[in-house]
Amino acid sequence: MTSSNIIKLVITTSIGIALGLVYGWVIDPIEYTDVPPNILREDYRADYVLMVAEAYQSDADAEIAVRRLAILGSESPALITASTLEYANSNGFTQNEITALQNLLTAMQTYQPQGINNP
Amino acid sequence: MSRLTLRSAALQLTLALLIGLGLGLVYSWFLSPVTYVDANPAILRADFKDQYRIVIAAAYASTHDLARTRARLELLGDIDPVGELSAQAQRMLGAGESFEKVRLLAQLATDLNQGFASIPTPTSFTVLDTPQSPATDLITETQTITIEEPPTPFPTIVFEQTPITPVVAEINTPRPTVTPNPAPGAPFALVGQDAVCVPGSQPGLLQFTLMDSRRREMAGIEIIVTWNQGEDRFYTGFKPELGNGYADFVMQADTVYSIRIVEGGAFVPNISAPACADPNGVNYPGGLLLTFQQP
Repeated sequence: MTSSNIIKLVITTSIGIALGLVYGWVIDPIEYTDVPPNILREDYRADYVLMVAEAYQSDADAEIAVRRLAILGSESPALITASTLEYANSNGFTQNEITALQNLLTAMQTYQPQGINNP
Repeated sequence: MSRLTLRSAALQLTLALLIGLGLGLVYSWFLSPVTYVDANPAILRADFKDQYRIVIAAAYASTHDLARTRARLELLGDIDPVGELSAQAQRMLGAGESFEKVRLLAQLATDLNQGFASIPTPTSFTVLDTPQSPATDLITETQTITIEEPPTPFPTIVFEQTPITPVVAEINTPRPTVTPNPAPGAPFALVGQDAVCVPGSQPGLLQFTLMDSRRREMAGIEIIVTWNQGEDRFYTGFKPELGNGYADFVMQADTVYSIRIVEGGAFVPNISAPACADPNGVNYPGGLLLTFQQP
């Protein structure tokens, strides 16, 4: 095989690789299903936290709120709520919604898991 | 260059192209696939969707904002959101979850079905002062804010895409008389016991319809069915497509059942599947429809 043929093969293989990458990344990328909530878009995430806050308004159960927030990732519930409150303040949430988030944040900041002080 | 050499060269190039294509696909699909961020709730795993529905229902129990709740449910991409709520409620009951937890889902399914919030809407938030202890004395100051206008839409295209129905007007208007739940202890009376002989239907299907004194069907009423080998408990309203006060149970032939409506304590003994005959004269266990009503 001549060097010119080898160059042709390399170029053709490179073109094939490029086509494969374009197809696999752009034309028909892997479609994800069954994803965890920690990769939710920020506004969906904020709405989820808001729902937790709204629920907390009526049940005042910090334990349940913590468990509900836990599915959003490994960050602390207080941090999740604080970042949502920040998002709410900069995205025109209503005063009631912000109040609910503030209440949830207060609860998350003062939350102590039951039994943590028990020997 | 001979024809054979040309064909061989073309073959080599095609082969190289295919190999390259394969390598590219392997890399883009398996080694370094598109990383997903900014997912939407529709592609959540089933158990997370269940959790999402619970939180939606819990938020609804607090706000009674049916339009917004509907929009939130639509995010999950369910073809039949009400059916999914009912199915999840059934699954949770089957898994032994407490009725209090399941009730939120059932209530939401019922309200979505009837198109309005069945509980008078206070549309208020309790404002909590900084608590000293999370467990006790959380509420140190209470302030009620009455909402005079529909809630501001959530600042995403999600809620912009959702048509707002006139339900909001009802939500903002407390309707203290619309409460399907009975007064504690209000007794139910059996007002109808009809055999259902429909060939092809579920044999031995015991159907319940529970209504209040105004003949409105009532969700969330616990029914206990006992027989000589066991007991089953279930609630009305988990199949809202069949009625908010509907519940059913499958009887076995030649078994005698007793029915107890927990709320109010109505008791109906000696219930069994009626014998029905199809057009060919073949006997089969028929169904029974029991109608209970508060006086």
